Amino acid sequence: MTCGLKRLCAAGVVVALGVAAAPVRKIQLTDTKLKNGLRVIISEDHSAPVYSIVVQYNVGSRDERKGRTGFAHLFEHMMFKGSENVGQNEHPYLIFMNGGSMNGTTSKDRTMYYETLPANQLDLGLFLEADRMKSLGITKDNLENQRNAVQEERRSGVDNQPYGKTFEAIDELAYDNAAYEHSVIGSMADLSAASVEDVAAFFKMYYAPNNAVIGIVGDVNTKTTLAKIEQYFGAIPRQPAPPAVDMSEPAQKEERRLTLEDGLARLPRIDMAYKIPPSSGPDDDAIGVMATILSGGRSARFYESIVRQKQLSTGVSAFSGDSRGPGLFRVSGTPLPGKTLADLETAIDAEIERLKADPIADWEIEKARTSARRAFVNSIASSLNIAVRLSEDALFYDQPNRINTHEERIAKVTAADVQRVARQYLVKASRTVVLTVPKPAAPKGGL
Amino acid sequence: MSNRTILAATVAIATGAMSSSAPTLAQGPPPGGAPQPSTTQMVLKGKAPVSNEVLKVKLPRPQEADLANGLHLIVLEDRRLPQITFQIIIPGAGGYFDPADKIGLASYTAQLMREGTRTRTSPQISETLETMSASLNVATGLAGTSASISGGSLTENFDKLMDLTADVLLNPAFAPAEWDRLRTRTKAGLVQSRANPGFLAAERFNRAVFGAHPAGRVSPSAANLDAITPEALMEFHKTRYAPDHAAIAFAGDLSLAEARKLVEAKLSGWKKAGAPKGSVMEPLAVGAPRVFLVARPGSVQTTLSVGTQSMIRTDPDYTALTVVNRVLGGTMGRLFRHLREEKGYTYGVGSFFSATQYRGSWQASTSVRTEVTEPALTDLLAEIAELREKPIPAAEFADVKRAIVGSFALALESPQQVLGYYIDNWQYGLPADYWDTYPARVMEITPAQAQAAAQKYWAPGRLQIVAVGDATKITDILKKKGDLEVYDADGNPLK
Repeated sequence: MTCGLKRLCAAGVVVALGVAAAPVRKIQLTDTKLKNGLRVIISEDHSAPVYSIVVQYNVGSRDERKGRTGFAHLFEHMMFKGSENVGQNEHPYLIFMNGGSMNGTTSKDRTMYYETLPANQLDLGLFLEADRMKSLGITKDNLENQRNAVQEERRSGVDNQPYGKTFEAIDELAYDNAAYEHSVIGSMADLSAASVEDVAAFFKMYYAPNNAVIGIVGDVNTKTTLAKIEQYFGAIPRQPAPPAVDMSEPAQKEERRLTLEDGLARLPRIDMAYKIPPSSGPDDDAIGVMATILSGGRSARFYESIVRQKQLSTGVSAFSGDSRGPGLFRVSGTPLPGKTLADLETAIDAEIERLKADPIADWEIEKARTSARRAFVNSIASSLNIAVRLSEDALFYDQPNRINTHEERIAKVTAADVQRVARQYLVKASRTVVLTVPKPAAPKGGL
Repeated sequence: MSNRTILAATVAIATGAMSSSAPTLAQGPPPGGAPQPSTTQMVLKGKAPVSNEVLKVKLPRPQEADLANGLHLIVLEDRRLPQITFQIIIPGAGGYFDPADKIGLASYTAQLMREGTRTRTSPQISETLETMSASLNVATGLAGTSASISGGSLTENFDKLMDLTADVLLNPAFAPAEWDRLRTRTKAGLVQSRANPGFLAAERFNRAVFGAHPAGRVSPSAANLDAITPEALMEFHKTRYAPDHAAIAFAGDLSLAEARKLVEAKLSGWKKAGAPKGSVMEPLAVGAPRVFLVARPGSVQTTLSVGTQSMIRTDPDYTALTVVNRVLGGTMGRLFRHLREEKGYTYGVGSFFSATQYRGSWQASTSVRTEVTEPALTDLLAEIAELREKPIPAAEFADVKRAIVGSFALALESPQQVLGYYIDNWQYGLPADYWDTYPARVMEITPAQAQAAAQKYWAPGRLQIVAVGDATKITDILKKKGDLEVYDADGNPLK
């Protein structure tokens, strides 16, 4: 049925809306480098009186040295504690009290700060980000204070949660390289050991303009915004480039396996992690389509076969995220009461072998394509989403325009590509398996 | 001289700027001596350039129409992107109306509608939806008064999505085998949720505040699940999923005329049934203050909730409580500044309230390391008391009102969010210009009104305290705060 947008077709019960697969607008952007090395990506979008600013620093937990795990994230907290012209916590206070939102987040690969504000507060966002890049206030009090908050964050997210330690155990076992084997949140002991001198040295080395990318998206004028960025950030001095991270990971020769007791969990759980290449590699799109076929929604193979038909599990997921270094294709699931981890593992393995050997249906490939298209449309509704994507793609891949090519890259992936990557990467010799089992019950109520 | 004053000055100007004025930048410390914020770890130097204008935002209004079968149509046309989302709200089909021995009936009726129709199996529905990357969900809360069918897709697939929606709404099969599957998975989920401290706190808190009222329900029991039959599910659907009092709302790439044609074409089989809207009762007034401990062996934190009943959505105090709650437990509010930033007791702390057709709840909550349970709880209660006992300093008060009004601009990025405001209007019978006049109403709230709301809703005689954690370490501490009842993580009372 192909009738125009406005002309509704009354024939039968088909009410046509829109033309089939109308092209979605591409994101227009400018990519500029200041003299001090700060890279600035700007994209105008005047659909709402709002803008977002994202500052990506090229430092994550992968840059941490031994004995200082969790430091990049602890440092992120320090960035809200004031600078030369901004008081303790004034940054978040001003953002929220002017109707905005903001936060910071640290991963293995980067540390990111962001604000979304009404469009008339452009100077506010730029000033706050520039002042802390230029002159962070590093004091012992601030460090002690945020050490507490971060240790509490660790308790909330890891130590007081069922399966909390499982997440750490997988990466520790799967990676040989120190950069990726420890968690972003770090260990309690290392957090306690961090000193003010560590904070100052880290700031100087990593929080330099030449080690950052800014993304600005929304109701802004590119030329004016660039001039303001020059005004606020232009005088911040460049620093020597930080040392490159050694991301080399020796090839894994055989399966690694661990059983973990968990006093807080009530059901067992299996986690598998298969080694895959960095997401900058040519196989990344096919690996993404593979994840969709295995676990994207309820039509996916894991759900339909293992959850619905065999009734072995409450849910089985498969996932691979962006990773600048060697990545992991993660599979995890919880057996239903009365079923065993071995039953579940056998069923997961069977689905993986079936993916390698048997044909993939056309609709499964079609599903991956439309889901890439819808994900793109969904993501560009938000200035923050676009700003994150543009700046992260610039930092990780040196391709700020990557957001515009995702749909067509996924459309090129064939069933044969998916089978090839399944055969190449989903092999037992290069996987890590962690089995989490509830610890025998403590006295009732713990009394 | 105070660095703090700039915000007061800014807001004083902003209040005027609600109606006019061009943006100007305020820079440099202003004169004056406004009160300092009530907690340390926050220093306002006042040097950052803030635009004095609060961006005047007028939310786009949806178009509305009433259809012959009783259905109310709401359309927020927004052509920025080629996608459409929708929501059907069906009053009378929510968990509120579950029989006492079949708690969960409404929820599982909703969930099972998606698990097969007379002509489509569950996997066929999933495959059709996901091949076009569309979503379709049917859901209701255990205490909700209405059920909701919602979804969305790219414009090019929306016609097909509506076909599927109509089938799920009108012809669900309620196959016994699918109910068995869903029930088995749900039971496993019940076991898992008991490992989660947040779940345990919510369960005990809702029971403490609402007693046997439906609002006190957080999850069904295994016995409830066993009592629910495919026949009961089918009957609930047959009698409750009527269009008589329902609404269908769209946001995105279509007009009112297109939406009307679509609904009339796809949902022509959804006939007026003379169904009652379902009357709603208020919960009994909250009882004397008590302290509840849920013993969770192995906990390294204590999860705390302090709270009570709130109000109905149309209560005249709604705006005043919104403002004073934001002062206490909003982003960068007093609880955050004091318990996290000043004392370092916690990673996250906040306060929240709900207001629906019947009285909702208000609570302040946090998780703190076990060792600081006592000072954290004492400080939390003290912050609540301070808002009852002392007026909010003018600068802090003005900042918070500015924050609420200022954040409206951000909603304009999301047609779904704007539509949500107008669905609230319809659900609670708020005036048509409610959101146009909301910023002015927020700005008109006085410190005295805010304090009065704190005194009324956070009176010490109404506050219930719930703690989830290591009973061996915190029982004696909690005894100091009032009459203590102790439960295990399975919900059984302990001596």
